Amino acid sequence: MSNFTIPVGPLHVALEEPMYFRVDVHGETVANVDIHAGHVHRGIEYLATKRNIFQNVVLTERICSLCSNSHPQAYSMAIEKIAGIVVPERAEYLRAIADEVKRVASHLFNVAILAHLVGFESLFMHVMEIRERMQDVKESLFGNRMDIGANTIGGVRYDIDAERIGYLEQQLAWIENALIEVVALYRSNGSILGRTRGIGVLSHADALECGTVGPVARASGIRYDVRVKAPYAAYDRLEVPVHTLPDGDVWSRAMVRLAEAQTAIDLIRQCVRDLPDGPTTATTERPSIPAGEAIAKCEAPRGELIYYVRVGESPKPERVKWRVPSFMNWDALRIMLRQAKIADIAIIVNSIDPCISCTER
Amino acid sequence: MKFFKIFARNLIQGPSTIAFPFAPAWTPERLRGRIVFDLAGCTGCRACEQVCAGGAIRFDKTPQGLRFMMWHNTCVFCGLCTFYCPTKAITQSDDWHMAHAAAHKFEMAIREVIPYTTCSVCGLKTLASAPNPVGVVPPFSAEEIEQHRQLCAGCRKKAMAERGATS
Repeated sequence: MSNFTIPVGPLHVALEEPMYFRVDVHGETVANVDIHAGHVHRGIEYLATKRNIFQNVVLTERICSLCSNSHPQAYSMAIEKIAGIVVPERAEYLRAIADEVKRVASHLFNVAILAHLVGFESLFMHVMEIRERMQDVKESLFGNRMDIGANTIGGVRYDIDAERIGYLEQQLAWIENALIEVVALYRSNGSILGRTRGIGVLSHADALECGTVGPVARASGIRYDVRVKAPYAAYDRLEVPVHTLPDGDVWSRAMVRLAEAQTAIDLIRQCVRDLPDGPTTATTERPSIPAGEAIAKCEAPRGELIYYVRVGESPKPERVKWRVPSFMNWDALRIMLRQAKIADIAIIVNSIDPCISCTER
Repeated sequence: MKFFKIFARNLIQGPSTIAFPFAPAWTPERLRGRIVFDLAGCTGCRACEQVCAGGAIRFDKTPQGLRFMMWHNTCVFCGLCTFYCPTKAITQSDDWHMAHAAAHKFEMAIREVIPYTTCSVCGLKTLASAPNPVGVVPPFSAEEIEQHRQLCAGCRKKAMAERGATS
Protein backbone atom coordinates (compact mmCIF):
# COMPACT_ATOMS: atom_id res chain seq x y z
CA MET A 1 0.00 0.00 0.00
CA SER A 2 1.22 3.45 -0.80
CA ASN A 3 1.14 6.71 1.11
CA PHE A 4 -0.67 9.77 -0.19
CA THR A 5 -1.46 13.24 1.05
CA ILE A 6 -5.02 14.24 0.20
CA PRO A 7 -6.86 17.48 0.81
CA VAL A 8 -10.30 17.46 2.42
CA GLY A 9 -11.82 20.90 2.13
CA PRO A 10 -11.89 23.83 2.41
CA LEU A 11 -14.83 23.39 0.03
CA HIS A 12 -16.02 19.85 0.29
CA VAL A 13 -19.42 18.29 -0.28
CA ALA A 14 -19.46 16.67 3.14
CA LEU A 15 -18.30 19.64 5.19
CA GLU A 16 -20.88 22.17 6.26
CA GLU A 17 -18.43 25.00 6.58
CA PRO A 18 -15.03 25.71 5.06
CA MET A 19 -12.25 23.92 6.89
CA TYR A 20 -9.14 22.47 5.36
CA PHE A 21 -7.70 19.11 6.42
CA ARG A 22 -4.49 17.87 4.88
CA VAL A 23 -4.70 14.18 5.45
CA ASP A 24 -1.78 11.77 5.12
CA VAL A 25 -3.21 8.40 4.24
CA HIS A 26 -1.69 4.98 4.21
CA GLY A 27 -3.92 3.07 1.83
CA GLU A 28 -7.45 3.70 3.13
CA THR A 29 -6.34 4.66 6.60
CA VAL A 30 -5.61 8.10 7.97
CA ALA A 31 -2.06 8.36 9.30
CA ASN A 32 -1.88 12.04 10.18
CA VAL A 33 -4.09 15.12 9.93
CA ASP A 34 -3.15 18.76 9.61
CA ILE A 35 -5.97 21.19 10.33
CA HIS A 36 -5.76 24.59 8.64
CA ALA A 37 -8.11 27.35 9.68
CA GLY A 38 -8.84 30.86 8.58
CA HIS A 39 -11.18 30.56 5.62
CA VAL A 40 -14.11 32.41 7.14
CA HIS A 41 -12.30 34.97 9.25
CA ARG A 42 -14.38 38.16 9.12
CA GLY A 43 -12.66 40.26 11.77
CA ILE A 44 -15.67 40.37 14.08
CA GLU A 45 -13.60 40.96 17.24
CA TYR A 46 -12.27 44.12 15.60
CA LEU A 47 -15.71 45.11 14.36
CA ALA A 48 -17.05 44.75 17.90
CA THR A 49 -14.69 47.50 19.07
CA LYS A 50 -15.99 49.76 16.28
CA ARG A 51 -19.64 49.52 17.32
CA ASN A 52 -21.33 50.67 20.49
CA ILE A 53 -22.35 48.33 23.29
CA PHE A 54 -25.96 48.03 22.07
CA GLN A 55 -25.12 47.43 18.42
CA ASN A 56 -22.84 44.61 19.53
CA VAL A 57 -25.79 42.62 20.86
CA VAL A 58 -26.82 42.25 17.24
CA LEU A 59 -23.29 41.82 15.91
CA THR A 60 -22.50 38.97 18.31
CA GLU A 61 -25.79 37.33 17.39
CA ARG A 62 -24.57 37.16 13.80
CA ILE A 63 -21.25 35.47 14.54
CA CYS A 64 -22.87 32.09 14.07
CA SER A 65 -26.42 31.15 13.19
CA LEU A 66 -26.71 27.95 15.22
CA CYS A 67 -25.54 29.42 18.52
CA SER A 68 -27.02 32.82 17.70
CA ASN A 69 -28.72 33.02 21.08
CA SER A 70 -25.71 32.02 23.20
CA HIS A 71 -23.38 34.73 21.88
CA PRO A 72 -25.58 37.76 22.70
CA GLN A 73 -26.57 36.08 25.95
CA ALA A 74 -22.99 35.71 27.17
CA TYR A 75 -22.17 39.19 25.86
CA SER A 76 -25.17 40.72 27.64
CA MET A 77 -24.30 38.90 30.86
CA ALA A 78 -20.76 40.33 30.74
CA ILE A 79 -22.07 43.88 30.17
CA GLU A 80 -24.65 43.43 32.94
CA LYS A 81 -21.87 42.35 35.28
CA ILE A 82 -19.87 45.49 34.44
CA ALA A 83 -22.87 47.77 34.96
CA GLY A 84 -24.22 45.86 37.97
CA ILE A 85 -27.59 45.41 36.30
CA VAL A 86 -29.88 42.86 37.93
CA VAL A 87 -31.94 41.03 35.34
CA PRO A 88 -35.62 40.62 36.37
CA GLU A 89 -36.65 37.09 37.24
CA ARG A 90 -39.13 36.77 34.39
CA ALA A 91 -36.38 37.73 31.95
CA GLU A 92 -34.13 35.01 33.37
CA TYR A 93 -36.75 32.36 32.66
CA LEU A 94 -37.41 33.78 29.20
CA ARG A 95 -33.66 33.63 28.52
CA ALA A 96 -33.59 29.97 29.49
CA ILE A 97 -36.55 29.27 27.19
CA ALA A 98 -34.78 30.97 24.26
CA ASP A 99 -31.60 29.03 25.04
CA GLU A 100 -33.35 25.67 25.09
CA VAL A 101 -35.42 26.35 21.97
CA LYS A 102 -32.17 27.05 20.12
CA ARG A 103 -30.57 23.94 21.60
CA VAL A 104 -33.29 21.64 20.29
CA ALA A 105 -33.00 23.10 16.79
CA SER A 106 -29.20 23.04 16.81
CA HIS A 107 -28.86 19.46 18.05
CA LEU A 108 -31.50 18.17 15.63
CA PHE A 109 -29.66 19.87 12.78
CA ASN A 110 -26.42 18.10 13.65
CA VAL A 111 -28.09 14.72 14.09
CA ALA A 112 -29.87 15.18 10.76
CA ILE A 113 -26.58 15.93 9.01
CA LEU A 114 -25.19 12.72 10.49
CA ALA A 115 -27.98 10.78 8.75
CA HIS A 116 -27.17 12.64 5.54
CA LEU A 117 -23.48 11.72 5.78
CA VAL A 118 -24.35 8.12 6.49
CA GLY A 119 -26.37 8.20 3.26
CA PHE A 120 -29.72 7.77 4.97
CA GLU A 121 -31.37 10.67 3.11
CA SER A 122 -34.96 9.93 4.09
CA LEU A 123 -34.04 10.02 7.79
CA PHE A 124 -32.15 13.27 7.17
CA MET A 125 -35.31 14.78 5.65
CA HIS A 126 -37.42 13.44 8.49
CA VAL A 127 -35.24 14.90 11.25
CA MET A 128 -35.02 18.20 9.40
CA GLU A 129 -38.80 18.24 9.25
CA ILE A 130 -38.98 17.82 13.02
CA ARG A 131 -36.48 20.63 13.38
CA GLU A 132 -38.63 22.73 11.08
CA ARG A 133 -41.31 22.70 13.76
CA MET A 134 -38.82 24.32 16.13
CA GLN A 135 -38.01 26.85 13.41
CA ASP A 136 -41.73 27.69 13.25
CA VAL A 137 -41.73 28.10 17.03
CA LYS A 138 -38.80 30.52 16.80
CA GLU A 139 -40.46 32.48 14.03
CA SER A 140 -43.72 32.69 15.98
CA LEU A 141 -42.24 33.57 19.37
CA PHE A 142 -39.25 35.68 18.39
CA GLY A 143 -39.91 36.78 14.82
CA ASN A 144 -36.98 35.15 13.07
CA ARG A 145 -35.94 31.60 12.22
CA MET A 146 -32.28 31.88 13.26
CA ASP A 147 -31.34 35.27 14.70
CA ILE A 148 -34.05 35.27 17.31
CA GLY A 149 -33.05 38.53 18.99
CA ALA A 150 -34.20 37.36 22.40
CA ASN A 151 -31.55 39.12 24.49
CA THR A 152 -30.88 42.70 25.26
CA ILE A 153 -28.71 44.32 27.89
CA GLY A 154 -30.69 44.05 31.10
CA GLY A 155 -33.21 41.44 30.02
CA VAL A 156 -35.06 40.09 27.03
CA ARG A 157 -36.80 41.67 24.08
CA TYR A 158 -39.70 39.25 23.82
CA ASP A 159 -42.53 38.16 26.06
CA ILE A 160 -44.98 35.29 25.93
CA ASP A 161 -48.66 35.37 26.82
CA ALA A 162 -51.10 32.53 27.51
CA GLU A 163 -51.92 32.13 23.82
CA ARG A 164 -48.26 31.81 22.82
CA ILE A 165 -47.57 29.42 25.70
CA GLY A 166 -50.43 27.28 24.39
CA TYR A 167 -48.91 27.26 20.92
CA LEU A 168 -45.46 26.49 22.33
CA GLU A 169 -46.74 23.56 24.40
CA GLN A 170 -48.66 22.17 21.45
CA GLN A 171 -45.55 22.23 19.26
CA LEU A 172 -43.37 20.79 22.04
CA ALA A 173 -45.75 17.86 22.43
CA TRP A 174 -45.53 17.13 18.70
CA ILE A 175 -41.72 17.40 18.66
CA GLU A 176 -41.43 15.23 21.79
CA ASN A 177 -43.41 12.40 20.20
CA ALA A 178 -41.48 12.66 16.96
CA LEU A 179 -38.20 12.58 18.90
CA ILE A 180 -39.08 9.35 20.71
CA GLU A 181 -39.41 7.68 17.31
CA VAL A 182 -36.17 9.18 16.03
CA VAL A 183 -34.16 8.24 19.13
CA ALA A 184 -35.32 4.62 18.78
CA LEU A 185 -34.17 4.70 15.16
CA TYR A 186 -30.71 6.05 15.95
CA ARG A 187 -30.45 3.44 18.69
CA SER A 188 -31.27 0.46 16.49
CA ASN A 189 -30.92 1.24 12.79
CA GLY A 190 -28.23 -0.90 11.16
CA SER A 191 -27.00 1.77 8.74
CA ILE A 192 -26.57 4.31 11.50
CA LEU A 193 -24.94 1.91 13.96
CA GLY A 194 -22.64 0.42 11.32
CA ARG A 195 -21.25 3.80 10.39
CA THR A 196 -21.07 5.37 13.86
CA ARG A 197 -20.38 2.73 16.54
CA GLY A 198 -16.70 2.59 17.44
CA ILE A 199 -15.86 5.32 14.89
CA GLY A 200 -13.87 8.42 15.85
CA VAL A 201 -13.31 7.30 19.41
CA LEU A 202 -12.16 9.92 21.91
CA SER A 203 -11.24 8.37 25.22
CA HIS A 204 -12.04 10.00 28.53
CA ALA A 205 -8.35 10.79 29.10
CA ASP A 206 -7.92 12.33 25.64
CA ALA A 207 -11.12 14.32 26.02
CA LEU A 208 -9.74 15.79 29.25
CA GLU A 209 -6.35 16.42 27.69
CA CYS A 210 -7.87 18.35 24.76
CA GLY A 211 -10.14 20.28 27.11
CA THR A 212 -13.21 19.33 25.10
CA VAL A 213 -16.54 20.80 26.13
CA GLY A 214 -20.21 20.29 25.42
CA PRO A 215 -21.69 17.11 23.97
CA VAL A 216 -18.23 16.01 22.75
CA ALA A 217 -16.93 15.94 26.32
CA ARG A 218 -20.12 14.44 27.73
CA ALA A 219 -20.06 11.63 25.16
CA SER A 220 -16.59 10.76 26.49
CA GLY A 221 -17.90 10.55 30.03
CA ILE A 222 -16.96 14.02 31.27
CA ARG A 223 -19.78 15.33 33.42
CA TYR A 224 -19.42 19.01 32.62
CA ASP A 225 -22.25 21.38 31.79
CA VAL A 226 -22.12 25.12 32.46
CA ARG A 227 -25.85 25.09 33.20
CA VAL A 228 -25.07 22.89 36.22
CA LYS A 229 -21.52 23.90 37.18
CA ALA A 230 -22.02 27.66 36.95
CA PRO A 231 -25.74 28.27 36.52
CA TYR A 232 -26.80 31.43 34.74
CA ALA A 233 -30.24 32.79 33.77
CA ALA A 234 -32.85 30.63 35.51
CA TYR A 235 -30.86 27.38 35.45
CA ASP A 236 -30.18 27.39 39.19
CA ARG A 237 -33.94 27.01 39.70
CA LEU A 238 -34.40 24.31 37.07
CA GLU A 239 -33.66 20.64 37.22
CA VAL A 240 -31.00 20.11 34.55
CA PRO A 241 -29.94 16.50 34.02
CA VAL A 242 -26.47 16.02 32.48
CA HIS A 243 -26.31 13.24 29.91
CA THR A 244 -23.06 11.35 29.61
CA LEU A 245 -22.00 8.24 27.73
CA PRO A 246 -18.78 6.30 28.27
CA ASP A 247 -17.69 5.31 24.74
CA GLY A 248 -16.77 8.62 23.10
CA ASP A 249 -17.58 7.49 19.57
CA VAL A 250 -19.61 9.27 16.87
CA TRP A 251 -22.75 7.43 17.93
CA SER A 252 -22.38 8.46 21.59
CA ARG A 253 -22.08 12.09 20.59
CA ALA A 254 -25.25 11.85 18.49
CA MET A 255 -27.10 10.11 21.31
CA VAL A 256 -26.01 12.74 23.86
CA ARG A 257 -27.35 15.42 21.51
CA LEU A 258 -30.65 13.63 21.06
CA ALA A 259 -30.99 13.15 24.83
CA GLU A 260 -30.21 16.84 25.38
CA ALA A 261 -32.81 17.85 22.82
CA GLN A 262 -35.37 15.80 24.75
CA THR A 263 -34.21 17.33 28.03
CA ALA A 264 -34.44 20.81 26.51
CA ILE A 265 -38.13 20.26 25.84
CA ASP A 266 -38.58 19.34 29.48
CA LEU A 267 -36.60 22.43 30.56
CA ILE A 268 -38.82 24.70 28.45
CA ARG A 269 -41.85 23.14 30.15
CA GLN A 270 -40.29 23.75 33.59
CA CYS A 271 -39.67 27.40 32.65
CA VAL A 272 -43.21 27.90 31.36
CA ARG A 273 -44.62 26.28 34.50
CA ASP A 274 -42.56 28.46 36.87
CA LEU A 275 -42.60 31.64 34.76
CA PRO A 276 -43.02 34.51 37.25
CA ASP A 277 -44.82 37.76 36.47
CA GLY A 278 -42.97 41.02 36.22
CA PRO A 279 -40.96 43.17 33.87
CA THR A 280 -38.81 41.67 31.11
CA THR A 281 -36.05 44.27 31.27
CA ALA A 282 -34.22 45.97 34.13
CA THR A 283 -34.63 49.44 32.60
CA THR A 284 -37.02 50.78 29.97
CA GLU A 285 -34.36 53.00 28.44
CA ARG A 286 -30.81 52.17 27.48
CA PRO A 287 -28.84 51.70 30.71
CA SER A 288 -25.57 53.58 31.13
CA ILE A 289 -22.54 51.30 31.14
CA PRO A 290 -19.57 52.39 33.27
CA ALA A 291 -15.95 51.46 32.54
CA GLY A 292 -14.94 48.01 33.65
CA GLU A 293 -14.28 44.46 32.58
CA ALA A 294 -16.07 41.19 33.07
CA ILE A 295 -16.20 37.56 32.06
CA ALA A 296 -19.39 35.60 31.49
CA LYS A 297 -20.02 32.12 30.25
CA CYS A 298 -22.94 30.04 29.11
CA GLU A 299 -23.66 26.62 27.67
CA ALA A 300 -24.05 27.00 23.91
CA PRO A 301 -25.40 23.97 22.02
CA ARG A 302 -21.77 23.06 21.26
CA GLY A 303 -20.48 23.60 24.78
CA GLU A 304 -19.03 26.23 27.04
CA LEU A 305 -18.92 29.71 25.53
CA ILE A 306 -16.84 32.32 27.38
CA TYR A 307 -17.01 36.07 26.82
CA TYR A 308 -14.60 38.70 28.02
CA VAL A 309 -15.61 42.34 27.63
CA ARG A 310 -13.67 45.45 28.61
CA VAL A 311 -15.40 48.81 28.49
CA GLY A 312 -13.62 52.15 28.75
CA GLU A 313 -14.99 55.68 28.75
CA SER A 314 -16.20 55.41 25.16
CA PRO A 315 -19.63 53.98 24.23
CA LYS A 316 -17.73 51.34 22.25
CA PRO A 317 -16.15 48.44 24.12
CA GLU A 318 -12.36 48.45 24.22
CA ARG A 319 -12.12 44.71 23.77
CA VAL A 320 -14.54 41.86 23.21
CA LYS A 321 -13.02 38.41 23.20
CA TRP A 322 -14.75 35.07 23.21
CA ARG A 323 -13.67 31.48 23.37
CA VAL A 324 -16.01 29.19 21.52
CA PRO A 325 -16.55 25.48 22.20
CA SER A 326 -15.47 24.38 18.71
CA PHE A 327 -12.00 25.79 19.34
CA MET A 328 -11.47 23.20 22.07
CA ASN A 329 -13.29 20.45 20.26
CA TRP A 330 -11.59 20.61 16.88
CA ASP A 331 -8.25 19.93 18.51
CA ALA A 332 -9.66 16.55 19.48
CA LEU A 333 -10.26 15.81 15.78
CA ARG A 334 -6.57 14.88 15.44
CA ILE A 335 -7.12 12.07 17.92
CA MET A 336 -10.52 11.03 16.56
CA LEU A 337 -9.24 10.88 12.98
CA ARG A 338 -6.16 8.81 13.82
CA GLN A 339 -6.43 5.40 12.12
CA ALA A 340 -9.86 6.30 10.72
CA LYS A 341 -10.96 5.30 7.23
CA ILE A 342 -11.08 8.03 4.58
CA ALA A 343 -14.82 7.44 4.17
CA ASP A 344 -15.38 8.25 7.85
CA ILE A 345 -13.59 11.60 7.86
CA ALA A 346 -16.73 13.62 7.15
CA ILE A 347 -18.78 11.74 9.75
CA ILE A 348 -16.12 12.25 12.42
CA VAL A 349 -15.70 15.94 11.61
CA ASN A 350 -19.47 16.43 11.77
CA SER A 351 -19.64 14.60 15.09
CA ILE A 352 -17.95 17.48 16.94
CA ASP A 353 -20.60 19.77 15.40
CA PRO A 354 -17.86 22.17 14.31
CA CYS A 355 -18.82 25.79 14.13
CA ILE A 356 -16.17 27.35 11.96
CA SER A 357 -17.82 30.76 11.73
CA CYS A 358 -17.75 31.00 15.56
CA THR A 359 -14.18 29.82 15.84
CA GLU A 360 -12.66 31.97 13.11
CA ARG A 361 -15.14 34.85 13.45
CA MET B 1 -37.51 -1.62 9.59
CA LYS B 2 -38.66 0.98 12.10
CA PHE B 3 -38.25 3.63 9.43
CA PHE B 4 -40.80 2.03 7.10
CA LYS B 5 -43.57 3.11 9.43
CA ILE B 6 -42.36 6.72 9.29
CA PHE B 7 -41.78 6.42 5.55
CA ALA B 8 -45.32 5.14 4.89
CA ARG B 9 -46.82 7.84 7.10
CA ASN B 10 -44.87 10.59 5.38
CA LEU B 11 -45.91 9.19 2.00
CA ILE B 12 -49.61 9.30 2.93
CA GLN B 13 -49.30 12.78 4.45
CA GLY B 14 -47.88 14.17 1.21
CA PRO B 15 -45.35 16.96 0.80
CA SER B 16 -44.38 19.10 3.79
CA THR B 17 -43.16 21.90 1.59
CA ILE B 18 -45.28 24.82 0.43
CA ALA B 19 -45.87 25.90 -3.16
CA PHE B 20 -44.41 29.40 -2.76
CA PRO B 21 -44.33 31.56 -4.97
CA PHE B 22 -47.42 29.95 -6.51
CA ALA B 23 -49.24 29.79 -3.19
CA PRO B 24 -49.01 32.04 -0.13
CA ALA B 25 -46.38 31.24 2.45
CA TRP B 26 -47.29 31.04 6.13
CA THR B 27 -46.13 34.13 7.99
CA PRO B 28 -46.33 34.36 11.77
CA GLU B 29 -47.80 37.49 13.28
CA ARG B 30 -44.60 38.43 15.10
CA LEU B 31 -42.28 38.12 12.11
CA ARG B 32 -39.69 40.89 12.19
CA GLY B 33 -39.99 42.22 8.65
CA ARG B 34 -39.95 45.50 6.76
CA ILE B 35 -39.54 48.66 8.85
CA VAL B 36 -42.53 50.99 9.03
CA PHE B 37 -42.01 54.60 10.12
CA ASP B 38 -44.67 56.87 11.58
CA LEU B 39 -43.49 60.46 11.22
CA ALA B 40 -46.16 61.86 13.56
CA GLY B 41 -44.85 59.75 16.47
CA CYS B 42 -41.14 60.54 16.01
CA THR B 43 -39.56 62.60 18.79
CA GLY B 44 -36.32 63.05 16.89
CA CYS B 45 -34.36 61.56 19.81
CA ARG B 46 -32.23 59.53 17.36
CA ALA B 47 -32.07 56.48 19.63
CA CYS B 48 -32.84 54.26 16.62
CA GLU B 49 -29.88 55.73 14.75
CA GLN B 50 -27.56 55.04 17.69
CA VAL B 51 -28.58 51.41 18.17
CA CYS B 52 -29.02 50.49 14.49
CA ALA B 53 -26.55 47.64 14.13
CA GLY B 54 -26.31 47.81 10.37
CA GLY B 55 -26.19 51.59 10.14
CA ALA B 56 -29.39 51.56 8.07
CA ILE B 57 -30.91 54.52 9.92
CA ARG B 58 -29.48 58.01 9.47
CA PHE B 59 -30.67 61.43 10.49
CA ASP B 60 -29.47 64.59 8.78
CA LYS B 61 -30.41 68.23 8.85
CA THR B 62 -31.98 69.71 5.73
CA PRO B 63 -33.29 73.27 5.15
CA GLN B 64 -36.80 71.90 5.74
CA GLY B 65 -36.07 70.09 9.00
CA LEU B 66 -34.61 66.90 10.45
CA ARG B 67 -34.62 64.14 7.88
CA PHE B 68 -35.09 60.49 8.88
CA MET B 69 -33.59 58.11 6.38
CA MET B 70 -33.76 54.33 6.51
CA TRP B 71 -32.37 51.92 3.90
CA HIS B 72 -34.27 48.64 3.70
CA ASN B 73 -31.39 46.88 1.98
CA THR B 74 -28.99 47.71 4.82
CA CYS B 75 -31.45 46.65 7.54
CA VAL B 76 -30.70 43.37 9.33
CA PHE B 77 -34.21 43.13 10.88
CA CYS B 78 -32.80 42.95 14.41
CA GLY B 79 -35.59 45.12 15.82
CA LEU B 80 -33.39 47.18 18.17
CA CYS B 81 -34.82 50.44 16.75
CA THR B 82 -38.36 49.29 17.55
CA PHE B 83 -37.28 48.10 20.98
CA TYR B 84 -35.64 51.37 22.00
CA CYS B 85 -38.07 53.78 20.26
CA PRO B 86 -39.83 55.65 23.12
CA THR B 87 -43.01 56.24 21.08
CA LYS B 88 -42.94 53.12 18.85
CA ALA B 89 -42.86 55.47 15.87
CA ILE B 90 -40.64 52.90 14.22
CA THR B 91 -42.05 49.38 14.01
CA GLN B 92 -41.57 46.19 12.05
CA SER B 93 -44.32 44.78 9.88
CA ASP B 94 -44.63 41.10 8.96
CA ASP B 95 -43.88 41.95 5.31
CA TRP B 96 -40.86 40.00 4.10
CA HIS B 97 -41.41 40.45 0.37
CA MET B 98 -38.32 42.54 -0.19
CA ALA B 99 -37.16 41.20 -3.56
CA HIS B 100 -36.93 43.93 -6.15
CA ALA B 101 -35.23 44.74 -9.42
CA ALA B 102 -31.77 46.29 -9.05
CA ALA B 103 -33.13 49.35 -10.87
CA HIS B 104 -35.36 50.08 -7.87
CA LYS B 105 -32.66 49.78 -5.20
CA PHE B 106 -32.59 53.49 -4.42
CA GLU B 107 -36.34 53.47 -3.86
CA MET B 108 -35.93 50.86 -1.12
CA ALA B 109 -35.72 53.54 1.55
CA ILE B 110 -37.82 55.65 3.87
CA ARG B 111 -37.14 59.38 3.66
CA GLU B 112 -39.28 61.59 5.88
CA VAL B 113 -38.66 65.06 7.26
CA ILE B 114 -39.67 66.35 10.69
CA PRO B 115 -40.33 69.95 9.59
CA TYR B 116 -39.22 73.13 11.28
CA THR B 117 -41.90 75.25 12.85
CA THR B 118 -41.97 78.42 14.94
CA CYS B 119 -42.67 78.07 18.64
CA SER B 120 -46.23 79.14 19.32
CA VAL B 121 -45.14 80.84 22.56
CA CYS B 122 -41.76 82.49 21.94
CA GLY B 123 -41.55 82.34 18.14
CA LEU B 124 -38.22 80.48 18.09
CA LYS B 125 -37.46 78.17 15.14
CA THR B 126 -37.88 74.60 16.37
CA LEU B 127 -38.57 71.04 15.21
CA ALA B 128 -42.22 69.95 15.08
CA SER B 129 -41.39 66.61 16.70
CA ALA B 130 -43.57 64.62 19.07
CA PRO B 131 -42.76 65.07 22.78
CA ASN B 132 -40.84 62.33 24.57
CA PRO B 133 -43.35 60.33 26.63
CA VAL B 134 -40.80 58.53 28.85
CA GLY B 135 -41.65 58.98 32.53
CA VAL B 136 -44.57 61.33 31.82
CA VAL B 137 -47.40 60.66 34.29
CA PRO B 138 -50.26 60.80 33.37
CA PRO B 139 -49.41 60.10 29.72
CA PHE B 140 -49.83 62.80 27.08
CA SER B 141 -53.25 63.19 25.50
CA ALA B 142 -53.48 63.53 21.72
CA GLU B 143 -54.17 67.26 22.10
CA GLU B 144 -51.16 67.77 24.35
CA ILE B 145 -48.92 66.05 21.82
CA GLU B 146 -50.10 68.49 19.14
CA GLN B 147 -49.56 71.46 21.51
CA HIS B 148 -46.05 70.35 22.41
CA ARG B 149 -45.26 69.83 18.74
CA GLN B 150 -45.59 73.59 18.28
CA LEU B 151 -43.28 74.45 21.19
CA CYS B 152 -39.52 74.92 21.36
CA ALA B 153 -37.40 72.92 23.83
CA GLY B 154 -37.42 75.68 26.47
CA CYS B 155 -41.17 76.24 26.27
CA ARG B 156 -41.79 72.48 26.40
CA LYS B 157 -39.85 72.39 29.68
CA LYS B 158 -41.96 75.23 31.04
CA ALA B 159 -45.17 73.50 29.92
CA MET B 160 -44.04 70.30 31.63
CA ALA B 161 -43.29 72.16 34.86
CA GLU B 162 -46.77 73.69 34.77
CA ARG B 163 -48.24 70.26 34.13
CA GLY B 164 -46.62 69.08 37.37
CA ALA B 165 -45.22 65.95 35.80
CA THR B 166 -41.75 64.57 36.38
CA SER B 167 -39.92 63.87 33.16
